[in-house]
Amino acid sequence: MSGPILSVRGLTKRFGGLIAVNNVDFDLPAGELHAIIGPNGAGKTTFFNLVSGFLPPNAGRVVFDGQDITGMPTHRISQLGMARTLQIKSVFNGLSVYDNVWIAAHSRHKFLHPLKAARSFGATAEVAAQALAAVELTDRASELAGNLAYGDVALLEIAIAIAMKPKLLLLDEPVAGMSPEETQRTVHKIKELSQSVNILMIEHDMETVFEVADRITVMTQGVVLCQGTVKEIANDPRVQEAYLGVPEDSTHA
Amino acid sequence: MPPGMQFVPRDPLPLVASIVAAVLLLVAPWLLPKFAPDFWVSIIAEMLIWGLFASSANLLLGYTGLLSFGQSLYFGFGAYGVAFAINNFNLGVIPAFFIGVAAATAIAAIAGVFAVRLTWHYFAIITVVFSLIFYLIAVGWKTVTGGDDGMSFALPPIARIGDTEFTLLNATFQYYFILTIVAACFFLQWIVLRSPLGMAFKAVRENATRAGLIGFNPYLVRLMSFIIAGLLAGVAGALFALFSRYASAHYMFWTVSGEAVIWTIVGGTGTLFGPVVGAAVLTVLREELSTVWEHYLIVVGVIVILMVTFAPKGILGSIAAWRSTRRAGGRDAAAKKGAHA
Repeated sequence: MSGPILSVRGLTKRFGGLIAVNNVDFDLPAGELHAIIGPNGAGKTTFFNLVSGFLPPNAGRVVFDGQDITGMPTHRISQLGMARTLQIKSVFNGLSVYDNVWIAAHSRHKFLHPLKAARSFGATAEVAAQALAAVELTDRASELAGNLAYGDVALLEIAIAIAMKPKLLLLDEPVAGMSPEETQRTVHKIKELSQSVNILMIEHDMETVFEVADRITVMTQGVVLCQGTVKEIANDPRVQEAYLGVPEDSTHA
Repeated sequence: MPPGMQFVPRDPLPLVASIVAAVLLLVAPWLLPKFAPDFWVSIIAEMLIWGLFASSANLLLGYTGLLSFGQSLYFGFGAYGVAFAINNFNLGVIPAFFIGVAAATAIAAIAGVFAVRLTWHYFAIITVVFSLIFYLIAVGWKTVTGGDDGMSFALPPIARIGDTEFTLLNATFQYYFILTIVAACFFLQWIVLRSPLGMAFKAVRENATRAGLIGFNPYLVRLMSFIIAGLLAGVAGALFALFSRYASAHYMFWTVSGEAVIWTIVGGTGTLFGPVVGAAVLTVLREELSTVWEHYLIVVGVIVILMVTFAPKGILGSIAAWRSTRRAGGRDAAAKKGAHA
């Protein structure tokens, strides 16, 4: 594929007097696992909300896979092949784990058949089974999603995204609140996934970011501070400044 | 089901209970008069109609997550559709029935376009407002609707084969006529709820944001549910008009919608037959208590409050929950036993 999978130009979002995302340009080349990092309030989640259609931008354009999706509702953007997980894990609590992924797998059908039994759609069942297997939740299939442990809910959310067969997957803090074991398991899954799908993730956990990301974008106060490989970012003094503040003596200098 | 997926075998109780209930309903006209007054056949027919009506509120609340206090509007349209078709257009029972259902479904489609843009209490309020508008029109426009006195009509026979006339004036025939249509409506609900559309209802109920992120349009999914619910309420209204031989603005009042919600909650929100169980229990209670004490509604109110507080899943929902924990416990014990062996 030629050209970036996601291309953002001049994206701006204001909340009253606060400019949460300020004139951001961003390109995501196809085939990479890209991470957005930045201190709290840098506008990372707002950026995701603008890209995935949760919020309309005040200015700017979002082009996904060659199509302008600025201002489209979430379900249409999703139909074009963008999947997203949320910072606060969001699954169908009252449904079984299997039904959670089944619905996602079936969402590519434009027409919701009202009379044919859901279980009779063989292709959907296969995609659902594969998605569950990919996150190793197959043996929890008949459990209620609401009864899963936190780490498993996060994996289920990823399985839901996989079942949609997306072109681009947005992960919002996929390992936040996880135990070290759960984090390890999830990081491993994300790495595996990135072989077959473009991933853009927000993450606070530096260890995780440096472990999985191909390239990193640093945001602070609504703007892109810098972009580069893991090594470049780790050694960039501006990044340290954004995170740790300016050292006392250098401000006086 | 794909290979490698291990699923818990289904609990056989719901199927067994449904078959027993179906057989009892089928033989009721013979069985019931042996130990109860004849009019109980008609009371059961009425319960079936109210159960169907309640199921329309259940489809919205229990399966799509929308609390409607306006289902009486579609019930009223179903009833008035029948009354107008028979009185003003001299149509037969069957065409009149379909006109009533079509009128209810059409008005549900129109009201739904506006109502399902909202959720939660805003949705509940707009459904009440819609039904109140039409209630006030029906009450005020006495020359056409008969207002609160209602509009009565003479039932034409359905068909005549040789010397036998099929008419709803025959209590047994009327009972089977109502039972058949109510059963067909529950079969339709069962079919829809296990279809991809039914899965989408539940997805929107559980998490509309996630449903949108997955690619469903929550608005359209809710609208479909709202229209089907309107159709069910319309069928109930049309049947009730045929059953009572009249239509009245009284049945369009929002308290009638409220009863559908209460029957649903008592019977079991989100269970297919909960609304029928709730309607049956509370109508029998009303029937029995009202002869003893005129303030019987207080007792009904207390029962509902106790139910919502201590068994919010309702009668059928609580039984299902109790059975599933018991079965899960049994499986764990069996697994332990297996591990020891």
